[in-house]
Amino acid sequence: MRLGLVLAVSLGAAACSSSAREPQVHRVAIQGMQFVPADLTASAGDTIVWVNEDIVPHTATAAGTFDSGVIASKAEWRLVVKDSGVVGYVCTMHPTMKATLTVR
Amino acid sequence: MRTTIATILWATVLALAPACKSDEKQPTTTTTPESSSSKPAPAPAPEPAKPAAATLTDAQIAAIVVAANQVDVDAGKLAVEKSGNAEVKKFAQQMVTDHTAVNQAAVELVTRLEVTPEESDASRGLAASGTETRTKLAALDGDAFDRAYVDNEVAYHQAVIGVLDSQLIPSATNEELKKTLVGVRPAFVAHLEHAQHLQSSLAGGHGHGK
Repeated sequence: MRLGLVLAVSLGAAACSSSAREPQVHRVAIQGMQFVPADLTASAGDTIVWVNEDIVPHTATAAGTFDSGVIASKAEWRLVVKDSGVVGYVCTMHPTMKATLTVR
Repeated sequence: MRTTIATILWATVLALAPACKSDEKQPTTTTTPESSSSKPAPAPAPEPAKPAAATLTDAQIAAIVVAANQVDVDAGKLAVEKSGNAEVKKFAQQMVTDHTAVNQAAVELVTRLEVTPEESDASRGLAASGTETRTKLAALDGDAFDRAYVDNEVAYHQAVIGVLDSQLIPSATNEELKKTLVGVRPAFVAHLEHAQHLQSSLAGGHGHGK
């Protein structure tokens, strides 16, 4: 029992001392011909989920970096972000739709 | 030609709007020789805050929405086929995609609500003027076609947004229908802006600023 307790405490301590952060999931709603939020900040290793809440299809595209392809109405697309930096992205179908993604 | 369909849409709006009663504020023409803009031309839509002397039922709204979308789908198909300009073709294809999607959603909704679209002078007028415009466009080619198509798309989307704001949204009784109409409005605005950018770029360096 005591060994178990010691092990548990050690593992707990190890976990606390680890600098690894639990990856998070960030949701970007595509609604009313906008990306909401328009400016998103995430950490490397996080997942971004774009959810198309509009009736018309959209894309989330940063040429050379990521491209969702067509996201149909009610569908979603997920991206695990890896490289830090700031990237602007658009909907290739509707050129007035722009947003930025900052990865730390 | 580019204003034909817009004119018809405005005429429809004005025809459907509650008739100007005599108690309505009529500017008495105590004419100063100043500019009296007494043109009966398409005026901006009536105040959206007007209480519902609703002249459109949900069934009629549904038919107007379907007709309005179908007009742009058909024009888009023509432009995809005829245009030699990659950007115009791309825009036209998007019109087909988007307006088809809106129609699909509208039909699904009214089916679920058990509302049967009801044709009216407005919906028939829209369809007829769409056909007329397409006939005129079909007779054009090359740059002339592209400019005429895009000019018409600008005017048409402006007119449709106007009718949405002045008639369709205020008249809608069912909340879900109203919410859908409000929800698609941004798509039409985005289409309008896209068409206006195209219009500018097609006008090119002819001194037309914007």
